[in-house]
Amino acid sequence: MNIISLLIGLLQSGLGNLAAYLAAHVLLCLVPAFFIAGALTALVPKEAVTRYLGRAAPKFISYPASAIGGFVLAVCSCTIMPLFAGIYKKGAGLGPAITFLFVGPAINILALAYTGVAIGMDIAIARIVLSIAFGIGIGLIMALLFRKDDMAHDAAGPDAFAASASVPRASWLLLALLVFLLIAGTLQVGLFTDSYAQITLPIRGTDALQATLNRLVPFDAARGEEGVTVQGAVLIVLLAAIAGAAWRGLNRVDEGFNRWTTVALALAATTLLVAALRLTPAAGGLTVAFPGKFFAVGAAMAGIVVLARRGFEPEQVQEWLWETWRFVRQIFPLLIVGVFAVGVVRPLIRPEWIEAVAGSNTLVGNVAGVLFGVFMYFPTLVEVPIARLFLDLGMHRGPLLAYLMADPELSLQSILIIASVIGRRKAWTYVGWVALFSTLAGLLYGAWVDGVSAWLILGGTFAGLALLALALNRLAARAARSIIAPQVAVPETVPVETSEH
Amino acid sequence: MALNIKVLGSGCANCARLEKHVKAAVEQLGVEATIVKTGDFDEYAKYNLLATPGLVVNDKLVAAGRVPAVSQIVTLLANELV
Repeated sequence: MNIISLLIGLLQSGLGNLAAYLAAHVLLCLVPAFFIAGALTALVPKEAVTRYLGRAAPKFISYPASAIGGFVLAVCSCTIMPLFAGIYKKGAGLGPAITFLFVGPAINILALAYTGVAIGMDIAIARIVLSIAFGIGIGLIMALLFRKDDMAHDAAGPDAFAASASVPRASWLLLALLVFLLIAGTLQVGLFTDSYAQITLPIRGTDALQATLNRLVPFDAARGEEGVTVQGAVLIVLLAAIAGAAWRGLNRVDEGFNRWTTVALALAATTLLVAALRLTPAAGGLTVAFPGKFFAVGAAMAGIVVLARRGFEPEQVQEWLWETWRFVRQIFPLLIVGVFAVGVVRPLIRPEWIEAVAGSNTLVGNVAGVLFGVFMYFPTLVEVPIARLFLDLGMHRGPLLAYLMADPELSLQSILIIASVIGRRKAWTYVGWVALFSTLAGLLYGAWVDGVSAWLILGGTFAGLALLALALNRLAARAARSIIAPQVAVPETVPVETSEH
Repeated sequence: MALNIKVLGSGCANCARLEKHVKAAVEQLGVEATIVKTGDFDEYAKYNLLATPGLVVNDKLVAAGRVPAVSQIVTLLANELV
Protein backbone atom coordinates (compact mmCIF):
# COMPACT_ATOMS: atom_id res chain seq x y z
CA MET A 1 0.00 0.00 0.00
CA ASN A 2 2.76 2.37 1.01
CA ILE A 3 4.64 1.75 -2.22
CA ILE A 4 1.55 2.44 -4.29
CA SER A 5 0.90 5.76 -2.62
CA LEU A 6 4.57 6.61 -3.04
CA LEU A 7 4.38 5.81 -6.76
CA ILE A 8 1.24 7.90 -7.15
CA GLY A 9 3.00 10.73 -5.37
CA LEU A 10 5.96 10.49 -7.75
CA LEU A 11 3.68 10.38 -10.78
CA GLN A 12 1.82 13.44 -9.51
CA SER A 13 5.10 15.25 -8.99
CA GLY A 14 6.22 14.39 -12.52
CA LEU A 15 2.98 15.55 -14.11
CA GLY A 16 2.95 18.65 -11.93
CA ASN A 17 6.45 19.57 -13.05
CA LEU A 18 5.49 18.99 -16.67
CA ALA A 19 2.38 21.12 -16.42
CA ALA A 20 4.18 23.89 -14.58
CA TYR A 21 6.97 23.95 -17.16
CA LEU A 22 4.66 23.89 -20.15
CA ALA A 23 2.56 26.67 -18.73
CA ALA A 24 5.16 28.88 -17.15
CA HIS A 25 8.44 28.56 -18.95
CA VAL A 26 7.90 27.23 -22.39
CA LEU A 27 5.57 29.43 -24.31
CA LEU A 28 6.78 32.98 -24.44
CA CYS A 29 10.39 31.91 -24.57
CA LEU A 30 10.64 28.61 -26.41
CA VAL A 31 8.04 29.21 -29.13
CA PRO A 32 9.78 32.35 -30.48
CA ALA A 33 13.17 30.71 -29.90
CA PHE A 34 12.23 27.77 -32.11
CA PHE A 35 11.11 30.17 -34.84
CA ILE A 36 14.41 32.04 -34.53
CA ALA A 37 16.38 28.81 -34.77
CA GLY A 38 14.41 27.85 -37.88
CA ALA A 39 14.99 31.27 -39.46
CA LEU A 40 18.73 31.15 -38.73
CA THR A 41 18.98 27.77 -40.41
CA ALA A 42 16.74 28.46 -43.39
CA LEU A 43 17.11 32.15 -44.16
CA VAL A 44 20.70 33.04 -43.24
CA PRO A 45 23.22 31.73 -45.80
CA LYS A 46 25.96 29.84 -43.97
CA GLU A 47 28.58 31.37 -46.24
CA ALA A 48 27.92 34.75 -44.61
CA VAL A 49 29.78 33.40 -41.58
CA THR A 50 31.98 30.64 -42.95
CA ARG A 51 33.87 33.07 -45.16
CA TYR A 52 35.54 34.36 -41.98
CA LEU A 53 36.67 30.88 -41.02
CA GLY A 54 38.95 30.08 -43.93
CA ARG A 55 42.65 29.46 -43.77
CA ALA A 56 43.49 32.93 -45.05
CA ALA A 57 41.55 34.69 -42.28
CA PRO A 58 43.81 36.38 -39.71
CA LYS A 59 43.59 35.13 -36.12
CA PHE A 60 41.90 38.23 -34.75
CA ILE A 61 39.04 37.61 -37.17
CA SER A 62 38.82 33.83 -37.23
CA TYR A 63 38.67 33.34 -33.45
CA PRO A 64 35.88 35.84 -32.72
CA ALA A 65 34.05 34.67 -35.86
CA SER A 66 34.22 31.07 -34.61
CA ALA A 67 32.92 32.13 -31.23
CA ILE A 68 30.06 34.25 -32.50
CA GLY A 69 29.40 32.10 -35.57
CA GLY A 70 28.09 29.44 -33.23
CA PHE A 71 25.03 31.61 -32.72
CA VAL A 72 24.08 31.29 -36.37
CA LEU A 73 25.51 27.91 -37.28
CA ALA A 74 25.34 25.73 -34.22
CA VAL A 75 21.68 25.37 -33.52
CA CYS A 76 21.95 21.60 -33.53
CA SER A 77 24.80 19.16 -33.15
CA CYS A 78 24.32 17.82 -36.69
CA THR A 79 25.61 21.15 -38.02
CA ILE A 80 28.32 21.47 -35.38
CA MET A 81 30.30 18.34 -36.17
CA PRO A 82 30.66 18.70 -39.97
CA LEU A 83 31.62 22.36 -39.59
CA PHE A 84 34.03 21.55 -36.79
CA ALA A 85 35.70 18.94 -39.00
CA GLY A 86 35.68 21.40 -41.91
CA ILE A 87 37.26 24.26 -39.98
CA TYR A 88 39.88 21.90 -38.60
CA LYS A 89 40.78 20.10 -41.81
CA LYS A 90 40.23 22.72 -44.47
CA GLY A 91 39.73 26.06 -42.76
CA ALA A 92 41.24 28.27 -40.13
CA GLY A 93 42.72 25.30 -38.27
CA LEU A 94 42.54 23.55 -34.92
CA GLY A 95 42.26 26.64 -32.70
CA PRO A 96 39.20 28.27 -34.27
CA ALA A 97 37.63 24.82 -34.74
CA ILE A 98 37.96 24.18 -31.00
CA THR A 99 36.60 27.65 -30.19
CA PHE A 100 33.60 26.95 -32.41
CA LEU A 101 33.05 23.56 -30.80
CA PHE A 102 33.21 24.99 -27.29
CA VAL A 103 31.14 28.13 -27.71
CA GLY A 104 28.47 26.76 -30.05
CA PRO A 105 26.33 24.82 -27.58
CA ALA A 106 26.54 27.60 -24.99
CA ILE A 107 25.22 30.40 -27.17
CA ASN A 108 22.59 28.69 -29.25
CA ILE A 109 19.38 30.65 -29.10
CA LEU A 110 17.24 27.83 -27.67
CA ALA A 111 19.54 27.10 -24.74
CA LEU A 112 20.02 30.79 -24.08
CA ALA A 113 16.35 31.75 -24.05
CA TYR A 114 15.41 28.73 -21.98
CA THR A 115 18.18 29.21 -19.42
CA GLY A 116 17.33 32.89 -19.10
CA VAL A 117 13.66 32.27 -18.38
CA ALA A 118 13.83 29.08 -16.32
CA ILE A 119 16.87 29.91 -14.19
CA GLY A 120 17.74 33.56 -14.56
CA MET A 121 19.12 36.08 -17.00
CA ASP A 122 22.28 36.42 -14.88
CA ILE A 123 23.26 32.79 -15.50
CA ALA A 124 22.42 33.05 -19.20
CA ILE A 125 24.63 36.11 -19.61
CA ALA A 126 27.43 34.59 -17.53
CA ARG A 127 27.22 31.54 -19.76
CA ILE A 128 27.65 33.64 -22.92
CA VAL A 129 30.44 35.88 -21.67
CA LEU A 130 32.49 33.18 -19.96
CA SER A 131 32.07 30.65 -22.76
CA ILE A 132 33.20 33.15 -25.40
CA ALA A 133 36.23 34.20 -23.32
CA PHE A 134 37.18 30.66 -22.38
CA GLY A 135 36.32 29.23 -25.81
CA ILE A 136 38.81 31.56 -27.43
CA GLY A 137 41.27 30.76 -24.62
CA ILE A 138 41.00 27.01 -25.11
CA GLY A 139 41.22 27.41 -28.88
CA LEU A 140 44.45 29.42 -28.58
CA ILE A 141 45.92 26.92 -26.14
CA MET A 142 45.11 23.95 -28.36
CA ALA A 143 46.50 25.71 -31.42
CA LEU A 144 49.76 26.38 -29.57
CA LEU A 145 50.02 22.92 -28.07
CA PHE A 146 49.50 21.19 -31.40
CA ARG A 147 51.19 23.72 -33.60
CA LYS A 148 53.12 21.18 -35.68
CA ASP A 149 49.89 19.56 -36.68
CA ASP A 150 48.35 22.74 -38.12
CA MET A 151 51.45 23.37 -40.19
CA ALA A 152 50.91 20.01 -41.88
CA HIS A 153 47.29 20.93 -42.58
CA ASP A 154 48.20 24.23 -44.11
CA ALA A 155 49.85 22.43 -46.96
CA ALA A 156 46.77 20.41 -47.92
CA GLY A 157 43.83 20.93 -50.24
CA PRO A 158 41.87 23.90 -51.63
CA ASP A 159 40.11 26.38 -49.40
CA ALA A 160 36.55 25.24 -48.72
CA PHE A 161 35.70 28.57 -47.19
CA ALA A 162 36.19 30.81 -50.19
CA ALA A 163 32.49 31.20 -50.98
CA SER A 164 30.88 34.27 -49.49
CA ALA A 165 27.35 35.57 -49.20
CA SER A 166 25.60 38.33 -47.37
CA VAL A 167 22.48 38.12 -45.25
CA PRO A 168 19.46 39.55 -47.12
CA ARG A 169 17.82 42.58 -45.55
CA ALA A 170 14.50 40.80 -45.13
CA SER A 171 16.22 38.10 -43.07
CA TRP A 172 17.74 40.73 -40.77
CA LEU A 173 14.36 42.34 -40.30
CA LEU A 174 12.62 39.06 -39.61
CA LEU A 175 15.26 38.07 -37.05
CA ALA A 176 14.98 41.47 -35.38
CA LEU A 177 11.20 41.12 -35.10
CA LEU A 178 11.50 37.58 -33.73
CA VAL A 179 14.07 38.64 -31.16
CA PHE A 180 11.80 41.52 -30.16
CA LEU A 181 8.95 39.02 -29.77
CA LEU A 182 11.13 36.89 -27.51
CA ILE A 183 12.29 39.83 -25.42
CA ALA A 184 8.85 41.44 -25.13
CA GLY A 185 7.37 38.18 -23.88
CA THR A 186 10.04 37.34 -21.34
CA LEU A 187 11.77 40.48 -20.10
CA GLN A 188 10.55 41.45 -16.65
CA VAL A 189 10.43 45.22 -16.90
CA GLY A 190 7.58 47.55 -16.01
CA LEU A 191 6.89 48.58 -19.60
CA PHE A 192 5.97 45.00 -20.49
CA THR A 193 4.55 43.73 -17.21
CA ASP A 194 2.41 46.71 -16.11
CA SER A 195 -1.25 46.28 -16.90
CA TYR A 196 -2.88 48.89 -19.13
CA ALA A 197 -6.47 47.63 -19.28
CA GLN A 198 -8.62 45.20 -17.41
CA ILE A 199 -11.97 43.52 -18.00
CA THR A 200 -13.95 40.90 -16.10
CA LEU A 201 -15.45 38.15 -18.18
CA PRO A 202 -18.68 36.65 -16.79
CA ILE A 203 -17.32 33.12 -16.78
CA ARG A 204 -18.35 31.38 -13.57
CA GLY A 205 -16.61 28.53 -11.86
CA THR A 206 -13.01 29.47 -12.66
CA ASP A 207 -12.21 29.77 -8.97
CA ALA A 208 -13.54 26.27 -8.43
CA LEU A 209 -11.42 25.09 -11.36
CA GLN A 210 -8.35 26.64 -9.72
CA ALA A 211 -9.13 24.81 -6.48
CA THR A 212 -9.43 21.54 -8.41
CA LEU A 213 -6.13 22.17 -10.19
CA ASN A 214 -4.43 22.81 -6.85
CA ARG A 215 -5.77 19.52 -5.58
CA LEU A 216 -4.72 17.60 -8.69
CA VAL A 217 -1.24 19.11 -8.76
CA PRO A 218 -0.36 19.81 -5.15
CA PHE A 219 2.69 21.99 -4.84
CA ASP A 220 5.11 23.14 -2.22
CA ALA A 221 6.62 26.50 -3.07
CA ALA A 222 9.42 25.92 -0.54
CA ARG A 223 10.70 23.04 -2.66
CA GLY A 224 10.53 25.08 -5.84
CA GLU A 225 7.33 23.47 -7.07
CA GLU A 226 4.99 25.74 -8.94
CA GLY A 227 1.56 24.27 -9.45
CA VAL A 228 -0.75 25.02 -12.34
CA THR A 229 -2.97 28.08 -12.76
CA VAL A 230 -6.22 28.30 -14.73
CA GLN A 231 -4.29 30.24 -17.37
CA GLY A 232 -1.71 27.47 -17.43
CA ALA A 233 -4.43 24.89 -17.99
CA VAL A 234 -5.83 26.90 -20.93
CA LEU A 235 -2.35 27.16 -22.43
CA ILE A 236 -1.71 23.44 -22.09
CA VAL A 237 -4.96 22.73 -23.96
CA LEU A 238 -3.91 25.18 -26.67
CA LEU A 239 -0.47 23.57 -26.90
CA ALA A 240 -2.03 20.15 -27.41
CA ALA A 241 -4.20 21.65 -30.17
CA ILE A 242 -1.11 23.16 -31.83
CA ALA A 243 0.64 19.82 -31.71
CA GLY A 244 -2.29 18.16 -33.48
CA ALA A 245 -2.64 20.86 -36.14
CA ALA A 246 1.12 21.17 -36.68
CA TRP A 247 1.42 17.45 -37.26
CA ARG A 248 -0.88 17.78 -40.25
CA GLY A 249 0.13 21.27 -41.28
CA LEU A 250 3.89 21.44 -40.83
CA ASN A 251 5.16 17.89 -41.31
CA ARG A 252 4.99 18.32 -45.07
CA VAL A 253 5.23 22.08 -45.28
CA ASP A 254 8.37 21.74 -47.40
CA GLU A 255 6.11 20.50 -50.19
CA GLY A 256 3.54 23.26 -49.85
CA PHE A 257 1.13 24.98 -47.49
CA ASN A 258 -2.21 23.45 -46.62
CA ARG A 259 -5.19 24.45 -44.53
CA TRP A 260 -3.71 22.90 -41.40
CA THR A 261 -0.60 25.06 -41.75
CA THR A 262 -2.77 28.15 -41.33
CA VAL A 263 -4.64 26.56 -38.43
CA ALA A 264 -1.41 25.61 -36.65
CA LEU A 265 0.11 29.06 -37.09
CA ALA A 266 -3.09 30.83 -36.00
CA LEU A 267 -3.23 28.61 -32.91
CA ALA A 268 0.39 29.36 -32.12
CA ALA A 269 -0.28 33.10 -32.37
CA THR A 270 -3.38 32.78 -30.16
CA THR A 271 -1.39 30.83 -27.60
CA LEU A 272 1.29 33.49 -27.40
CA LEU A 273 -1.35 36.19 -26.97
CA VAL A 274 -3.14 34.25 -24.22
CA ALA A 275 0.18 33.59 -22.52
CA ALA A 276 0.86 37.34 -22.50
CA LEU A 277 -2.43 38.06 -20.69
CA ARG A 278 -2.89 37.82 -16.95
CA LEU A 279 -5.95 35.77 -15.96
CA THR A 280 -7.13 35.85 -12.37
CA PRO A 281 -10.03 33.62 -11.36
CA ALA A 282 -12.49 35.18 -8.92
CA ALA A 283 -15.89 34.21 -7.56
CA GLY A 284 -17.78 36.58 -9.86
CA GLY A 285 -15.95 35.80 -13.07
CA LEU A 286 -12.59 35.74 -14.76
CA THR A 287 -10.52 38.93 -14.53
CA VAL A 288 -8.42 39.54 -17.61
CA ALA A 289 -5.60 42.07 -17.43
CA PHE A 290 -3.77 43.35 -20.51
CA PRO A 291 -0.09 43.98 -19.68
CA GLY A 292 2.25 45.84 -22.03
CA LYS A 293 3.70 42.62 -23.35
CA PHE A 294 0.30 41.63 -24.76
CA PHE A 295 0.39 44.61 -27.12
CA ALA A 296 4.10 44.22 -27.87
CA VAL A 297 3.71 40.51 -28.69
CA GLY A 298 0.68 41.24 -30.87
CA ALA A 299 2.46 44.00 -32.78
CA ALA A 300 5.58 41.87 -33.31
CA MET A 301 3.53 38.97 -34.64
CA ALA A 302 1.56 41.22 -37.00
CA GLY A 303 4.86 42.59 -38.32
CA ILE A 304 6.22 39.08 -38.81
CA VAL A 305 3.15 37.98 -40.79
CA VAL A 306 3.32 41.03 -43.09
CA LEU A 307 7.06 40.62 -43.61
CA ALA A 308 6.81 36.88 -44.31
CA ARG A 309 4.21 37.56 -47.02
CA ARG A 310 5.83 40.58 -48.65
CA GLY A 311 9.55 40.11 -48.11
CA PHE A 312 10.06 36.41 -48.90
CA GLU A 313 9.30 33.89 -51.60
CA PRO A 314 6.72 31.30 -50.50
CA GLU A 315 9.42 28.60 -50.77
CA GLN A 316 11.59 30.47 -48.27
CA VAL A 317 8.75 30.71 -45.79
CA GLN A 318 8.07 27.00 -46.29
CA GLU A 319 11.71 26.22 -45.63
CA TRP A 320 11.66 28.41 -42.50
CA LEU A 321 8.56 26.73 -41.11
CA TRP A 322 9.91 23.30 -41.97
CA GLU A 323 13.20 23.92 -40.15
CA THR A 324 11.32 25.35 -37.17
CA TRP A 325 9.06 22.33 -36.98
CA ARG A 326 12.03 20.02 -37.42
CA PHE A 327 13.68 21.53 -34.33
CA VAL A 328 10.44 21.23 -32.38
CA ARG A 329 10.01 17.61 -33.39
CA GLN A 330 13.60 16.77 -32.63
CA ILE A 331 13.92 18.54 -29.29
CA PHE A 332 10.49 18.92 -27.75
CA PRO A 333 9.48 15.27 -27.12
CA LEU A 334 12.78 14.59 -25.33
CA LEU A 335 12.35 17.80 -23.35
CA ILE A 336 8.90 16.71 -22.20
CA VAL A 337 10.23 13.32 -21.11
CA GLY A 338 13.13 15.03 -19.36
CA VAL A 339 10.95 17.52 -17.50
CA PHE A 340 8.61 14.72 -16.41
CA ALA A 341 11.56 12.65 -15.19
CA VAL A 342 12.95 15.61 -13.27
CA GLY A 343 9.58 15.98 -11.55
CA VAL A 344 9.53 12.30 -10.61
CA VAL A 345 13.06 12.42 -9.23
CA ARG A 346 12.53 15.68 -7.32
CA PRO A 347 10.88 14.23 -4.19
CA LEU A 348 13.54 11.50 -3.99
CA ILE A 349 16.52 13.83 -3.67
CA ARG A 350 17.18 15.24 -0.24
CA PRO A 351 18.21 18.91 -0.32
CA GLU A 352 20.84 18.09 2.32
CA TRP A 353 22.75 15.95 -0.20
CA ILE A 354 22.97 18.72 -2.75
CA GLU A 355 23.82 21.28 -0.10
CA ALA A 356 26.55 19.09 1.34
CA VAL A 357 28.29 18.71 -2.03
CA ALA A 358 27.62 21.98 -3.82
CA GLY A 359 25.78 24.24 -1.41
CA SER A 360 28.56 26.79 -1.44
CA ASN A 361 31.08 27.99 -3.99
CA THR A 362 33.92 25.57 -3.28
CA LEU A 363 36.39 23.79 -5.52
CA VAL A 364 34.80 20.44 -4.65
CA GLY A 365 31.35 21.77 -5.47
CA ASN A 366 32.43 23.09 -8.87
CA VAL A 367 34.32 19.93 -9.75
CA ALA A 368 31.27 17.89 -8.77
CA GLY A 369 29.15 20.03 -11.08
CA VAL A 370 31.54 19.51 -13.99
CA LEU A 371 31.88 15.76 -13.43
CA PHE A 372 28.12 15.34 -13.27
CA GLY A 373 27.89 17.22 -16.55
CA VAL A 374 30.48 15.03 -18.26
CA PHE A 375 29.25 11.65 -17.15
CA MET A 376 25.53 12.24 -17.49
CA TYR A 377 24.21 12.58 -20.99
CA PHE A 378 21.05 14.63 -21.40
CA PRO A 379 19.35 15.58 -24.65
CA THR A 380 19.50 19.22 -25.80
CA LEU A 381 17.79 21.63 -23.37
CA VAL A 382 17.04 18.98 -20.73
CA GLU A 383 20.08 20.24 -18.82
CA VAL A 384 18.06 23.35 -18.01
CA PRO A 385 15.22 21.79 -15.94
CA ILE A 386 17.85 19.63 -14.26
CA ALA A 387 19.87 22.69 -13.34
CA ARG A 388 16.67 24.29 -12.09
CA LEU A 389 16.06 21.25 -9.88
CA PHE A 390 19.54 21.54 -8.40
CA LEU A 391 19.04 25.24 -7.81
CA ASP A 392 15.74 24.65 -6.01
CA LEU A 393 17.36 22.01 -3.85
CA GLY A 394 20.05 24.39 -2.67
CA MET A 395 22.90 24.27 -5.17
CA HIS A 396 25.03 27.41 -5.25
CA ARG A 397 24.88 29.35 -8.52
CA GLY A 398 28.64 28.94 -9.06
CA PRO A 399 28.70 25.14 -9.29
CA LEU A 400 25.42 25.40 -11.17
CA LEU A 401 27.13 27.41 -13.92
CA ALA A 402 30.04 24.95 -13.91
CA TYR A 403 27.53 22.16 -14.55
CA LEU A 404 25.71 24.14 -17.25
CA MET A 405 28.99 24.90 -19.04
CA ALA A 406 30.25 21.31 -18.96
CA ASP A 407 27.07 19.39 -19.71
CA PRO A 408 26.37 20.39 -23.33
CA GLU A 409 30.08 20.51 -24.16
CA LEU A 410 31.10 17.12 -23.01
CA SER A 411 29.51 13.75 -22.99
CA LEU A 412 31.20 10.43 -23.60
CA GLN A 413 29.44 10.22 -26.95
CA SER A 414 30.61 13.63 -28.15
CA ILE A 415 34.16 12.95 -26.95
CA LEU A 416 34.26 9.86 -29.16
CA ILE A 417 33.06 11.81 -32.22
CA ILE A 418 35.57 14.59 -31.55
CA ALA A 419 38.32 11.97 -31.24
CA SER A 420 37.35 10.51 -34.62
CA VAL A 421 37.96 13.92 -36.20
CA ILE A 422 41.06 15.23 -34.44
CA GLY A 423 42.55 12.09 -32.90
CA ARG A 424 42.45 10.73 -29.39
CA ARG A 425 45.35 12.67 -27.90
CA LYS A 426 44.00 16.05 -28.92
CA ALA A 427 40.46 15.10 -27.95
CA TRP A 428 41.42 14.20 -24.38
CA THR A 429 43.62 17.26 -24.06
CA TYR A 430 40.59 19.29 -25.08
CA VAL A 431 38.43 17.51 -22.52
CA GLY A 432 40.96 18.31 -19.83
CA TRP A 433 40.98 22.01 -20.68
CA VAL A 434 37.19 22.15 -20.86
CA ALA A 435 36.89 20.52 -17.44
CA LEU A 436 39.44 22.94 -16.02
CA PHE A 437 37.89 26.03 -17.55
CA SER A 438 34.32 25.03 -16.65
CA THR A 439 35.40 24.61 -13.04
CA LEU A 440 37.11 27.97 -13.20
CA ALA A 441 34.03 29.58 -14.74
CA GLY A 442 31.88 28.24 -11.89
CA LEU A 443 34.33 29.45 -9.24
CA LEU A 444 34.56 32.93 -10.77
CA TYR A 445 30.84 33.33 -11.27
CA GLY A 446 30.19 31.95 -7.80
CA ALA A 447 32.59 34.51 -6.37
CA TRP A 448 30.67 37.25 -8.16
CA VAL A 449 27.39 35.94 -6.73
CA ASP A 450 29.00 35.97 -3.30
CA GLY A 451 29.84 39.64 -3.70
CA VAL A 452 33.35 39.87 -5.11
CA SER A 453 33.71 42.83 -7.48
CA ALA A 454 33.07 42.00 -11.12
CA TRP A 455 36.02 44.14 -12.25
CA LEU A 456 38.37 42.21 -10.00
CA ILE A 457 37.12 38.92 -11.44
CA LEU A 458 37.23 40.05 -15.08
CA GLY A 459 40.65 41.63 -14.58
CA GLY A 460 41.96 38.48 -12.92
CA THR A 461 40.50 36.30 -15.68
CA PHE A 462 42.11 38.27 -18.46
CA ALA A 463 45.41 38.57 -16.63
CA GLY A 464 45.39 34.80 -16.06
CA LEU A 465 44.54 34.08 -19.70
CA ALA A 466 47.23 36.46 -20.91
CA LEU A 467 49.85 34.85 -18.64
CA LEU A 468 48.83 31.41 -19.88
CA ALA A 469 49.04 32.51 -23.51
CA LEU A 470 52.44 34.04 -22.89
CA ALA A 471 53.79 30.92 -21.20
CA LEU A 472 52.45 28.69 -23.96
CA ASN A 473 53.88 31.01 -26.58
CA ARG A 474 57.31 30.64 -24.99
CA LEU A 475 56.95 26.86 -24.96
CA ALA A 476 55.78 26.81 -28.55
CA ALA A 477 58.64 29.04 -29.64
CA ARG A 478 61.10 26.67 -28.00
CA ALA A 479 59.39 23.69 -29.64
CA ALA A 480 59.42 25.47 -33.01
CA ARG A 481 63.19 25.97 -32.76
CA SER A 482 63.66 22.26 -32.23
CA ILE A 483 61.42 21.53 -35.23
CA ILE A 484 63.33 23.91 -37.45
CA ALA A 485 66.61 22.23 -36.63
CA PRO A 486 65.89 18.97 -38.51
CA GLN A 487 64.28 20.97 -41.33
CA VAL A 488 67.66 22.50 -42.05
CA ALA A 489 68.67 19.03 -43.14
CA VAL A 490 65.97 18.98 -45.82
CA PRO A 491 68.09 20.26 -48.74
CA GLU A 492 70.47 17.34 -48.24
CA THR A 493 67.70 14.89 -49.02
CA VAL A 494 66.60 16.70 -52.17
CA PRO A 495 69.52 15.56 -54.35
CA VAL A 496 68.83 12.01 -53.22
CA GLU A 497 65.31 12.26 -54.60
CA THR A 498 66.42 13.72 -57.91
CA SER A 499 69.14 11.13 -58.34
CA GLU A 500 66.48 8.44 -58.38
CA HIS A 501 65.22 9.61 -61.76
CA MET B 1 25.94 6.00 -68.38
CA ALA B 2 24.98 5.23 -64.83
CA LEU B 3 24.96 8.02 -62.29
CA ASN B 4 27.11 7.80 -59.21
CA ILE B 5 25.31 9.61 -56.39
CA LYS B 6 26.45 10.15 -52.82
CA VAL B 7 24.37 11.60 -50.02
CA LEU B 8 26.70 12.99 -47.37
CA GLY B 9 25.32 13.12 -43.87
CA SER B 10 24.25 10.74 -41.18
CA GLY B 11 21.35 10.70 -38.82
CA CYS B 12 19.89 14.17 -39.14
CA ALA B 13 16.38 14.65 -40.44
CA ASN B 14 17.46 16.67 -43.48
CA CYS B 15 19.90 13.95 -44.54
CA ALA B 16 17.13 11.38 -44.59
CA ARG B 17 14.91 13.80 -46.48
CA LEU B 18 17.60 14.42 -49.10
CA GLU B 19 18.02 10.69 -49.64
CA LYS B 20 14.26 10.37 -50.13
CA HIS B 21 14.23 13.24 -52.62
CA VAL B 22 17.17 11.75 -54.54
CA LYS B 23 15.44 8.39 -54.81
CA ALA B 24 12.28 10.08 -56.05
CA ALA B 25 14.25 12.09 -58.62
CA VAL B 26 16.09 9.02 -59.91
CA GLU B 27 12.79 7.20 -60.24
CA GLN B 28 11.23 10.11 -62.17
CA LEU B 29 14.14 10.21 -64.58
CA GLY B 30 14.16 6.46 -64.93
CA VAL B 31 17.96 6.27 -65.06
CA GLU B 32 20.36 3.81 -63.56
CA ALA B 33 22.11 5.14 -60.48
CA THR B 34 24.00 3.96 -57.46
CA ILE B 35 23.07 5.88 -54.33
CA VAL B 36 25.41 5.75 -51.34
CA LYS B 37 24.75 7.45 -48.02
CA THR B 38 27.73 8.14 -45.79
CA GLY B 39 28.52 10.01 -42.61
CA ASP B 40 32.29 9.79 -42.94
CA PHE B 41 34.07 13.03 -42.02
CA ASP B 42 36.91 12.28 -44.45
CA GLU B 43 34.36 12.18 -47.26
CA TYR B 44 33.02 15.57 -46.12
CA ALA B 45 36.54 16.97 -46.25
CA LYS B 46 37.17 15.41 -49.66
CA TYR B 47 34.28 17.37 -51.16
CA ASN B 48 34.82 20.50 -49.03
CA LEU B 49 31.43 20.01 -47.41
CA LEU B 50 30.79 22.28 -44.43
CA ALA B 51 27.16 21.64 -43.66
CA THR B 52 25.20 18.46 -44.05
CA PRO B 53 23.39 17.26 -46.01
CA GLY B 54 25.55 17.27 -49.10
CA LEU B 55 24.71 15.88 -52.53
CA VAL B 56 27.53 14.54 -54.68
CA VAL B 57 26.87 13.53 -58.27
CA ASN B 58 29.67 11.85 -60.25
CA ASP B 59 32.24 13.07 -57.73
CA LYS B 60 31.05 16.69 -57.81
CA LEU B 61 29.42 18.45 -54.86
CA VAL B 62 26.24 19.97 -56.27
CA ALA B 63 24.32 20.96 -53.12
CA ALA B 64 25.40 21.55 -49.54
CA GLY B 65 23.62 22.47 -46.33
CA ARG B 66 20.19 22.38 -47.90
CA VAL B 67 17.67 19.97 -49.32
CA PRO B 68 16.82 20.82 -52.94
CA ALA B 69 13.28 20.06 -54.10
CA VAL B 70 12.80 16.87 -56.12
CA SER B 71 12.33 18.92 -59.31
CA GLN B 72 15.65 20.70 -58.71
CA ILE B 73 17.43 17.38 -58.20
CA VAL B 74 15.92 16.08 -61.44
CA THR B 75 17.43 19.08 -63.27
CA LEU B 76 20.79 18.55 -61.56
CA LEU B 77 20.88 14.89 -62.54
CA ALA B 78 19.71 15.58 -66.08
CA ASN B 79 22.55 18.09 -66.52
CA GLU B 80 25.02 15.39 -65.53
CA LEU B 81 23.58 12.98 -68.09
CA VAL B 82 23.96 15.32 -71.04
